Amino acid sequence: MRGRPLLYTAYESDQAILNTPTKKVMGGLTLVVLLLIPFGVIPGLDFLAESAWLRILSTVAVFVIAGLGLNILLGLAGQVSLGHAFFMGVGAYVAAVLGGDPEGLRLGFGLPMWIWLPAAGIVAALIGVAFGPAAARVRGLYLAFVTLGLVFVGDYVFRNWVSVTGGAEVGRTFPPLQFRVWKEDPPLIDFSVDSAWFGIPMTAEAKSFYFFLAAALVFMLLAKNLQRTRVGRAFQSIRDRDIAAEIMGVDEVGYKLRAFGISSFYAGVAGALLAVHVGSVIPARWDLFLSVQFIAIVLIGGAGTVVGVVLGTIFVTVLPRLVQDLTLWMQDVVLSGEGLIAKILDPIIATQSGDFGLINTNPGTGPGLSVFQLNQVIYGLLIILFLIFEPLGLYGIWVRIRNYWKGWPFTY
Amino acid sequence: MKIKSRWLVVFLVMGLVLAACSPSSGDSTDTTEAPAAATTTEASTDTTEAMTDTTEGAMEILTDVGVDLDAGTITVGLLSDLTGVFSALVQPVVDGYQTKVDDINASGGIHGLQIKLEVRDTVYSVDTHVQLYEELRDSVVMLGHSTGSPHSVAIAGALAEDNMLAVPLTWYSGWSDPALNSNLIPHGAPYCIEAMNSIGYLLSLNPDAATIAIASNAGDFGEDSAEGAKLAAEAAGLEVVYDGQAKVNAADEASLAEVATGIIGSDPDIVWVTTSPGAYAGIYGQALAAGVAALWSGSFVAWNSGLIAEGSAIRDAAQRDWTFSLPIGVWGADNQGTKDAVALLTAAIPDIVPYEYYLEGVGEAILLETILNAAYESGDLTRAGVLAAAKSLESMSWDGLWPDQNYTGTPNDTVQRLATVVRPSAADLDAGGSGLEVLESDYTSDLAAAFEFNETCFAAFG
Repeated sequence: MRGRPLLYTAYESDQAILNTPTKKVMGGLTLVVLLLIPFGVIPGLDFLAESAWLRILSTVAVFVIAGLGLNILLGLAGQVSLGHAFFMGVGAYVAAVLGGDPEGLRLGFGLPMWIWLPAAGIVAALIGVAFGPAAARVRGLYLAFVTLGLVFVGDYVFRNWVSVTGGAEVGRTFPPLQFRVWKEDPPLIDFSVDSAWFGIPMTAEAKSFYFFLAAALVFMLLAKNLQRTRVGRAFQSIRDRDIAAEIMGVDEVGYKLRAFGISSFYAGVAGALLAVHVGSVIPARWDLFLSVQFIAIVLIGGAGTVVGVVLGTIFVTVLPRLVQDLTLWMQDVVLSGEGLIAKILDPIIATQSGDFGLINTNPGTGPGLSVFQLNQVIYGLLIILFLIFEPLGLYGIWVRIRNYWKGWPFTY
Repeated sequence: MKIKSRWLVVFLVMGLVLAACSPSSGDSTDTTEAPAAATTTEASTDTTEAMTDTTEGAMEILTDVGVDLDAGTITVGLLSDLTGVFSALVQPVVDGYQTKVDDINASGGIHGLQIKLEVRDTVYSVDTHVQLYEELRDSVVMLGHSTGSPHSVAIAGALAEDNMLAVPLTWYSGWSDPALNSNLIPHGAPYCIEAMNSIGYLLSLNPDAATIAIASNAGDFGEDSAEGAKLAAEAAGLEVVYDGQAKVNAADEASLAEVATGIIGSDPDIVWVTTSPGAYAGIYGQALAAGVAALWSGSFVAWNSGLIAEGSAIRDAAQRDWTFSLPIGVWGADNQGTKDAVALLTAAIPDIVPYEYYLEGVGEAILLETILNAAYESGDLTRAGVLAAAKSLESMSWDGLWPDQNYTGTPNDTVQRLATVVRPSAADLDAGGSGLEVLESDYTSDLAAAFEFNETCFAAFG
């Protein structure tokens, strides 16, 4: 139907993931851009080919998976959970035990990734379902408290189960990212070393980025599809009014358990991937702050939408680096100089001992926020601002921009 | 069906990209990697240096990453915990470091090259540490320090890949172990040797001591130290009457009470506790109240002058019972290196509160200066050259600020056994000092001297 993109003649095309030509074109272009990023050939985005940025992008992909998991629970089924970090930790340690070095100091069976990666999700999902009956009895604030408990139970177990986690101060190493058929076989694909693909030299970071990107795309597709199924609609009906849903015949407890199970599966896989991405993790990684980060991702991005989660994740993951770079830039400007900008920035940034500044790159020397603290303040502010002014999150802003241009030059 | 087939194509493409790596590509050659000795540039701008007699005129200096001879800079990375749990210790280290680097730069730098520090806040998070290393790896010649043990282990593989030298900012004995040592330059007596030194010194104070109680945090810091204490006890014939290794959790009052009860019940002559200052004082306070009369020591990390500040309940008792052997410099030490460092710091940082960790930063910067000078003089300021220069320092001297250290030979040759024995001194604190009185400099106990160090005392990583 050329020229009439919003006219659907079949239910299937109405419900399609990319249901307009613009979406198809943009989706394809985005994919091409993502695939080309490691080669640094895209003008304006060539800096992303640096290994440090590729690492950030890989982290974005992993966080997208975990964020989608929370989004299924929080955005679709309407169940608040502060326990997401716990399930990620479970997934990480299942992966570490199954895939870990059998000769190493900690428990490890040296199994290949095709076993430890699904197992990480499955075990986390089982624990999520086992926890479900307790969670299904409460809602809202009480559910938040119940799930909060998980983080602290997890923290205790992770800190003290030394043979699995390495203990509080030490942590353990995680299996490298490589596909192999069985334990000691040579890897079919090794993402953890620099080598050539089709004769094109690739760094480990570039290869890992492709892997995490593919994984994120698979989980995005699954999440999007879930949203469009009977189960997804049941989740949404529970979110919107649980009593009404039950009256309509939706098995509330059953679907809540499913939501916990699926969400925990996502979290478990993401936890395993995050740990493997970093290579070494201490138990404190799976703390409350990580859970809060995912709440921030879902709320800033826009609860209940896949695109929102992606936007939120990019925002939350890339922001610290941007704030840091901005701070370093301001520091350089102030240090090197004269000029109006330096004078304006001087009270904002503390450059030396005793100097006053809102931001202090060496926070021991005087008042001022460190880059890390500044980031936390920004997260907090943004969560509050989005909740008040834009409950649909970045996704909501995007929809408004889209609608504006759809009607342009008319206002509606 | 259309939807499915389209996605199928997308995933096939993805699959092809992913499958493109064949098993035979596991060989180590990589066409993107720059060879170690990449660029050779003339150092023609430098007139202040004293040339070795074999060279005439401008000297050829090899460089790769982090050294810009045209701009006259050497960039060095610091991975520091500025906001995390150890920020109170690491911030003064960074301040001391920067102060000394400013001083080096002001007096001509490294043969005319100015040192530029890239300081990054790791927040004591392993993830952030790894991420920040990735960020710095293309711009620095070495890491002036790397805070935290699991953090430094997490970047060990990347360090080896990059030929990058790092100075670990922890005193884990594993840094001198061949398994981890390849790209690291540790400094100061590690935790387990520290225990041997301290216990040896306590035995010289009380030769009749027959029993010891040992307690520590879990992890490389606490348990390396506890293992050292056990090795010392065994060598000295002390009976371990209480073993609380890994039982202290500073955040958990109940664990402190449990350990204190264990110490009280065993009535030891010597107590060795390795934990944070607050937990150390908590355990000591409970034991003191129960009438335990013993000589106390622990890793220097347990020390903080706040524990004997005016009004502290244990002010007098701590001065009587506590002794530490510091692997780092002591503010009030009577030697040229320390005096120079203190003079430098007091001039540069107004209202400085004397604290040993400032000296730690100065000491690290002196180590950096020596390594870079040695690399420059050998004509190789590449990362590999810097690494080689560091590993061939036979008698590194800090002029007394830290004991001399040798970095060549077997682990048994390189491990530092010398330390400064101190005890808390309220008089020194009240006089504006750091609250420590030096009892012995360049001290090593018979136990530490006789100890054959071949591998880490406590295997935490692997």
